Amino acid sequence: MASNSSSKLPRRWHLFDIAERNAAALWPKTMHRYSGYLLLVPAILLVFVLVLGLVYIGGYSLHELDLATYRLKETFSLTNYSAALTSTTYQSVVLRSIGASILVTFFTLLLAFPYAYLMVRARQAATKKFLLISLFLPFFIGQIVRAYGWLIILGQEGLINTLFAGLGLPAMDLIYNYPAVILGLVQYMLPFAVLLLAPAITAIGRDVELASESLGANWMRTFLHVVLPMAKPGLVGSSVVVFTLTLTDFAMPEILGGGTTDFIANAIYDGFFQLSNSGLGSALAMILVTLGTAFVVILFFLAGTGTLGFNGREQ
Amino acid sequence: MKNKPLESLTMDRRDFLKTSAVVAGSVALGPSIALAEQKKPKEIIVRAWGGSWGEALKTGVADGFTQATGIKVRLDFTEDNEIKPKIWAAVDQGRIPPIHVNWDTTTNATISALRGVTVDLSDLSNLKGLLPLAKPVGMEGYPLVNTYAYVYVCAYRPEAFPDGPPQSWNVLLDPKFKGRVALYDDGIGFNPIAVIAGGGSLKDIPGNMEPGYAFYKKLKANKPLLGEDADFTTWFQKGEIDLACTISVNARAAKQSGIDVAWTVPKEGCKVDTDGLWVPKGLPANEEYWAKEFVNFALTKEAQKKWCSLLGLPPVYPGIEPPADLAGDVSYPTKPEDFAKLVRVPSKVLVENQPKWFAKFNEIFQG
Repeated sequence: MASNSSSKLPRRWHLFDIAERNAAALWPKTMHRYSGYLLLVPAILLVFVLVLGLVYIGGYSLHELDLATYRLKETFSLTNYSAALTSTTYQSVVLRSIGASILVTFFTLLLAFPYAYLMVRARQAATKKFLLISLFLPFFIGQIVRAYGWLIILGQEGLINTLFAGLGLPAMDLIYNYPAVILGLVQYMLPFAVLLLAPAITAIGRDVELASESLGANWMRTFLHVVLPMAKPGLVGSSVVVFTLTLTDFAMPEILGGGTTDFIANAIYDGFFQLSNSGLGSALAMILVTLGTAFVVILFFLAGTGTLGFNGREQ
Repeated sequence: MKNKPLESLTMDRRDFLKTSAVVAGSVALGPSIALAEQKKPKEIIVRAWGGSWGEALKTGVADGFTQATGIKVRLDFTEDNEIKPKIWAAVDQGRIPPIHVNWDTTTNATISALRGVTVDLSDLSNLKGLLPLAKPVGMEGYPLVNTYAYVYVCAYRPEAFPDGPPQSWNVLLDPKFKGRVALYDDGIGFNPIAVIAGGGSLKDIPGNMEPGYAFYKKLKANKPLLGEDADFTTWFQKGEIDLACTISVNARAAKQSGIDVAWTVPKEGCKVDTDGLWVPKGLPANEEYWAKEFVNFALTKEAQKKWCSLLGLPPVYPGIEPPADLAGDVSYPTKPEDFAKLVRVPSKVLVENQPKWFAKFNEIFQG
């Protein structure tokens, strides 16, 4: 009888029973208190792969290239680090990359904040939609295409120089220089920064601003003493993203720099591919990782990890 | 047995052409293919440069090879410097390499040969009778085979030079052309010329490169653009540059596509170099066999004539007439007196010194 009654049960119940039995075999009841840790598995796998790659790169960086065989020597040495750190070329490349990261972060945030603020606070749906579409449109156009877009606008026979010529002005060198790279990067980073700032601004209630104004603060004081401090998580988050993406960028300096404004990523590429020197390329890659990590650590140290809500307490 | 009626022995035009192509191909490839029992792969992958370079290889060699053997040829346009570590890693790890044949610069091919990842091509039947240029210098056997020579010419916009072509490479230093001159971004093709233009001589290379570095330092003030093959065409097209040191193939392709470009060999000379083909180790035996046969096919008179005519470069097969537009052009060297006007640095010297020259080039232009 029992078997008869169980066979009348819906088929999916049987499937769930089988799944439960299998799950119990794989993850016994005694382990249930650790179930929460299972959620860490994807993160651990991701970090593991990253760390494994870094360990290999770190290993390569400690071997010098043998030009007779184009293989890395067996012996360990710091030659690649010495070459990278003492060479004036790489010093310039590193300083140029850091300088660009600072400039791009500053200008991007300067432009992204009002954009994000307007997008969040706009009362008309049409305005919001327009700002959102304008923000997402560049995501559908890759970085390379956007860089070539700048060539069309800023080139010798580009839009701006054609306009100058029409006005009887001489053509200007607007491309293949450092400012062109910065301009291209700011345009590329703007959507990232806006997307990271928007949730932070959304979290600031409109009533908080109203309260500040009703207490006598003008718009500027409200902005400086209420909005800006409360948007700190967004500012820190977007600074981290924009700074690190700029520091590691390859395409913009390659396309808009005219070959003479390389960033660290370009130098790494040259090390690996043009020089066939994986040791030197790896050493430069380790320097880049160290610089990026140092920046994030310093920023968190200054702003506090709690800024991003990582204060160890449940919100 | 009765004799077949004559009508049954006739064939239509299409069958005739097909049979003729197979017979002609078999003869061209030598007896090895005709008698081969090696299993044919569905396709072989050949790394190539894009644009007019890839088109020339397809029309000049790949199509003919497919017609002769039935094996499709897929061109892989991965950058030459990027395919190199992929092949090296595959060979080191015992994996099958990503390509069957690498069309490469002789310098890069020599580096791969030094690394020990190239198959010996000494047994190719079509090596006999080629010009000495085909043999890699300073290497045992044929870890690669050179297929043609090419020249890094001085390409210019005639509009910017109303008094005629530039006579000296020193024109690169003329402030009139500030920001309007271009070189390869690793100095390739210009390093030895910089030494001569800077007051040194060929004998100074590689021992004393200082005159070249001094020339580069002066050139830096003129803000040159540094790029790759494709960049030069774009820059000429967009009116960004007036002058560049680039391979004659790029200048000719630009001219053929309607861009106003001409080229010359200034008094200091131009660097002449070679490209070649090589087969990576680690391929299955039958695929390695057919990869080698592809190289062998590329060395036939027909393939060399078609391929190199399209490129506008002198082949290693002797006695092939230059294309009409390049007859008498020094950038298409065929006679000893042509080569006398050009600068050739042995591959061994390039392989051993290019990394140092590149570092110094970078130090000057990136520093």
